[in-house]
Amino acid sequence: MSEALSVKNITKAFPGVLANDNISLSVEKGTIRAIVGENGAGKTTLMNVIYGLYQPDSGQIFINGEEVTFSSPRDAIAQGIGMVHQHFKLVPSYTLAQNIALGVEPRKGIFIDELALNKSVKAIADKYGFQINEREVTADVSVGEQQRAEILKALYRGVEILVLDEPTAVLTDIETKELFVMLRNLVEQGITILFISHKLREVLEISDDISVMRAGKLVGTVKCEETDECQLAEMMVGRETIGGRMRETKQKGELIMEIEGLSVLDNRDLTAVKDASLNLYSGEIVGGAGVDGNGQEEFVEALLGLRPLTSGKIRIDGKEIQELSTREIREAGVAYIPSDRYRSGVAVEGTIWENMVPGEYYVKPYSNGLALAMPEIMMMSGTLIQKFNVATPGLDAKTGNLSGGNIQRVIAARELGLEKAKVVIASQPTRGIDIAGTEAIRQMLIDYANRGAAVFVISADLDEILSLSDRVVVFYEGNVLDAGYYDETIRQRISWLMTSGKDYCVD
Amino acid sequence: MIKNFFDKAKNSHTWKENLVNLTTQLLNYLIILIIALFIGAVVMFLSGKDPIAAYAALWQGAFGNGYRFADTLDRSVIMILAGIAGSIAFRTNITNLGLEGQLYIGAFAAAWAGFTFTNLPAIVHIPLCMIAGIIGGALWTLPVLYLKMRWKIPELVPTLMLNYIAIRLTDYLIAFPFRDPAAPMAGSPLIAATAKLPKLIKGSTINIGFIIAIVLIFVTYWFLFKTKIGYELRMVGLNQDFAAAAGLPVKRSIFLAMTLSGGVIGLGGALMIQGFFGRFLGGFSSGYGWDGFMIAIIAQNHPFAVFPTALFYGALANGALTMQSVTGVPQAVVAMVKGTLVLFVTVKVFVENIRKGLRKWAM
Repeated sequence: MSEALSVKNITKAFPGVLANDNISLSVEKGTIRAIVGENGAGKTTLMNVIYGLYQPDSGQIFINGEEVTFSSPRDAIAQGIGMVHQHFKLVPSYTLAQNIALGVEPRKGIFIDELALNKSVKAIADKYGFQINEREVTADVSVGEQQRAEILKALYRGVEILVLDEPTAVLTDIETKELFVMLRNLVEQGITILFISHKLREVLEISDDISVMRAGKLVGTVKCEETDECQLAEMMVGRETIGGRMRETKQKGELIMEIEGLSVLDNRDLTAVKDASLNLYSGEIVGGAGVDGNGQEEFVEALLGLRPLTSGKIRIDGKEIQELSTREIREAGVAYIPSDRYRSGVAVEGTIWENMVPGEYYVKPYSNGLALAMPEIMMMSGTLIQKFNVATPGLDAKTGNLSGGNIQRVIAARELGLEKAKVVIASQPTRGIDIAGTEAIRQMLIDYANRGAAVFVISADLDEILSLSDRVVVFYEGNVLDAGYYDETIRQRISWLMTSGKDYCVD
Repeated sequence: MIKNFFDKAKNSHTWKENLVNLTTQLLNYLIILIIALFIGAVVMFLSGKDPIAAYAALWQGAFGNGYRFADTLDRSVIMILAGIAGSIAFRTNITNLGLEGQLYIGAFAAAWAGFTFTNLPAIVHIPLCMIAGIIGGALWTLPVLYLKMRWKIPELVPTLMLNYIAIRLTDYLIAFPFRDPAAPMAGSPLIAATAKLPKLIKGSTINIGFIIAIVLIFVTYWFLFKTKIGYELRMVGLNQDFAAAAGLPVKRSIFLAMTLSGGVIGLGGALMIQGFFGRFLGGFSSGYGWDGFMIAIIAQNHPFAVFPTALFYGALANGALTMQSVTGVPQAVVAMVKGTLVLFVTVKVFVENIRKGLRKWAM
């Protein structure tokens, strides 16, 4: 068999990270190659280099044995490489056919020949065995059909190598099965597929070869029939902890927060969290590991009263809180550091003081009845801002002008500074923050737990989980699975749970 | 150390810095104003009119003598209220396109209270009509709020459509149930003398409505920036997800902002009926609700900036008539100047941005 695509010694650095470190791999024509790895392992960067979205700092790309250089995806498509992103790039009000042929429509004079367009799209769909109603409006069809349109969009342009970035993340189980049938069809007709995924079960089901990446490096490539979930999970997460452990495991105190049988829907009304239970104890840090999108966000939003539960109970100090408003839940002692600080952590257009007081502005001494008590508000904000080392020109400065790390310090100061909270829920607390800021935020969480609070840290960064947690749970397809207390084998248990949902491996 | 921090914090916003900021802002608006007037002048010149004479007539009509100036101030009352109504909604990130309709309903409610009750002392009757106006304007926002809260329908189209319903509904009310055959054009009966607003100066239409408008500017400033509820409104407006996660009452804030916006423009309607028209007249508003929307945009939703903007709008409205009758330049030119103004403010043709643009261009 001949080689469809190969890369040699690809290196790509971003400020502060080496996203791809000297990567070489080659893919044979008419095969499916899976690229697996944790969040931030460098998979998507590598695919973006192959698709021409990024230019590598060094290294070469070969297609059918010939060296190519891309300055944009346009060049990549011209050389026969197409990419389907995780988030579709379709015009919702166009028909599927119009989207598929967008920009390369058959023309009649200066007009688009709609008849020929529909016909040509139909022909391509039939050729590859795709079920599609090409005249349907995109916004009205299922996610699975939109994805088929995305793949056809690439095929319509005559590509022979398809890159799929986590294609199953948005699909239901049945849609995933259908997708796999279609992918097999494509391969039989000579198309080569690169497939990025976290889900080892699916990878083992569909691919011919599997390449594993970790921390920007290619760990290795294995044949699908010669490997299993256990080997892959170990290759993905490795054995050593990077960065080191910041916490001494502590004896836990009494039960503070009890979550029992929690079920929650996502924005598309599909089940995001299934019957999840978790107990949080005083003085204990619980880590919530797992690949992004396994129900973490919905779980946290449900705890905060921001998303309705379909079933389950949440108790703080024995009192049920699942029916309460967000304000009442927070008054019961819940601090919250949201995962997206710009979306729900702060109002970037607001001043520092305005972002410091949303939990206090309405009670004495920060308000006298109707009006805000500005001197008290300024005194409190100023003291906390200084205690948490926020670098800002003043309390009237616009919050959006601060760096990400400083904004996170503002949030930490607001949520932890007054030491009212009994439970801290911190979601991705250090994502996108520099090293000094990351260590400071982690230390704040440790200190807070040492003062007797229950701390729950959700992070897609396994090293963060391992550096902080006394006990770890893993989010896997909406389940909250117990990985047990911190010990020398916890890394393996977590990696098995987050990639397969099982906490043991039978060799 | 803490003391140092506070000294630093204080120093970072010295009066000098504030003065520089204020001057820059004023300069921004001056430049935009000049551009807008210049574009108006070019159009007048191209159509064979003398722009200088036209602007002179406009100035004469608006500020020519004491009475004219007082009339201009009276005209600006509705502009101030409309601008504040728009600002309160915008501050909460609500686009209230229904100010015009809320104005009609508020005005009619005030007129109704004015002609229905006849034996009340003025001290009771005047505020009663105002309250009727406020309630009328606020009630007209409730269908929109229901759709927004129950079905998550954005307020944009419902507020807009309710304008037409309000205008036609009031047309119907004065054509049939409340028709006054003695009225010169379709209108309600005259309101009782006890409901009329006392005049401030003889020979001008200016009345205590102007004082109410000025007081309202300060009250709105205090409300938005110094109270708990104002803080909630502004935070919901800046970032609703943040407000929700922090536990702020998001729904209540949206409800409040919308009804307050409708209430304020409804009060504006009451002041027009009680201070100027003396009865509800069909089609009495020449787009004041829309002016309010524009004024809020130009003033960037700050009550203190609403005042000069509204005064400018009042002057244009008042002077345009004189301009048309003296120089024959159609009033439409004024609409063009207003439109240009809004356009340049929305695309932020501001000194700091021009400077940035020039720097980029030079590179």
